[in-house]
Amino acid sequence: MPSSIVHIGFALLLAVGLLGRYYDRRALLVVIAVVLFPELDTLLGWVMAGAHRTVLHTMLTSVFAGGLLWWETRRSNSWIRGRWGDYGVHVAWVALFAHTFAHLALDWAHLEGINILWPLVDQFVRLDGELYYSSTEGFVQTFVDFDIDEETGATVVDPGQTGTTATTHVSNPAQPTSDPDPGPVNRQFPIAWNGWQLYLVVTGVFAVVAKRLQTPRVERDD
Amino acid sequence: MPPTLINIAVGVLIGVALLGAAFNRRSLAIVALAAAVPDADAAVSLLIPGTTNALLHSIFIPLLAAGFIYYDTVVRDDSWLRARWGRDGVRVAWVALAAYAVAGIGLDLFSPEAVAVFYPFSGRYYAIEGRFVLSTQSGVVQTYIEFADGWFVVDSPGTTATHHVDSWVNPAGEERRLRLIETGWQAVIVMTAIAAVPAKWLIERSDR
Repeated sequence: MPSSIVHIGFALLLAVGLLGRYYDRRALLVVIAVVLFPELDTLLGWVMAGAHRTVLHTMLTSVFAGGLLWWETRRSNSWIRGRWGDYGVHVAWVALFAHTFAHLALDWAHLEGINILWPLVDQFVRLDGELYYSSTEGFVQTFVDFDIDEETGATVVDPGQTGTTATTHVSNPAQPTSDPDPGPVNRQFPIAWNGWQLYLVVTGVFAVVAKRLQTPRVERDD
Repeated sequence: MPPTLINIAVGVLIGVALLGAAFNRRSLAIVALAAAVPDADAAVSLLIPGTTNALLHSIFIPLLAAGFIYYDTVVRDDSWLRARWGRDGVRVAWVALAAYAVAGIGLDLFSPEAVAVFYPFSGRYYAIEGRFVLSTQSGVVQTYIEFADGWFVVDSPGTTATHHVDSWVNPAGEERRLRLIETGWQAVIVMTAIAAVPAKWLIERSDR
């Protein structure tokens, strides 16, 4: 994974703007908690092969939670609305946005990617490629590869499949490899890797600090 | 430099984050443009070699601009910015400056192609690249900034005389390449920016 620190950094950048007039410390903490939550499937890795980046990293969590949230907040005796009012509804939607983009999407582009449609399809997919316009090659994109199968003549579409839960283990501090090494295990807890990950952390912190420095004002009062 | 599209996407995210009540189509466009402006120094490099990621990526440009905005809006009795564009104008000016510095220069500084941040006083390119890992076998590993002889050292691929930054207008070889997205995480940034703008619209609308 890009570390939880990187997920939180990116989530902060998104939350500062999207929380709008409900922006406060408690709302930020809720968003951070939701962004951390999917890493719990790491613990399932001890009892279920390939659970990390599968059980709670499938994009179906966003679809399911979105549908649930839509239905829950629109019925007449909504629990969220009754307990926390508009504040609760707003913060829940922002947390779902952060979960989808700051956590799942970032992991999608990292290592072996995520098991994006589990349990419907058991297939890890990694987002990787380039998009450019070249003076000699024209427009080129390599995110999704299209090939012709030589034997059957059928078109093969490859959006970056990396394997199934049976064959894929995404390294994490709890289980660096799927088969325990006999020797001393090197558990690595990454904070940031490469410039861009540190950049996302710095930018998230910058957004929070800049928001604090801004002149507080009642929105559109004049 | 990472593709200008990525600078713009991060600029949009900063605009969504910080524009607040001044958020509208025009102010967002200004902020996104501010994030793209530094990459225009690639065109200047045709006339003055070695200005890509240097001339407009110099830290002194946003510092001067910050000094100007501060002087105009705080020190002066009647601010030109406020008189001409109102309170929202002041907000947009500060956020555009943040986009220029953080999305325009900062993003490039954290990439291997590097930025000459102290141009024109120094032509050396700097790149904050490395990793920061806690490991049970090798302890704390931090290679972004090395400390040696009481100085701190960051990676540098060379100076304006020796390091060429490839771009569409000033390519290294025969082929010109307009890079839009280089890798997966950049695609995620672009997707997020595209999703964040309508999300912010919905939120602003429901807030009124």
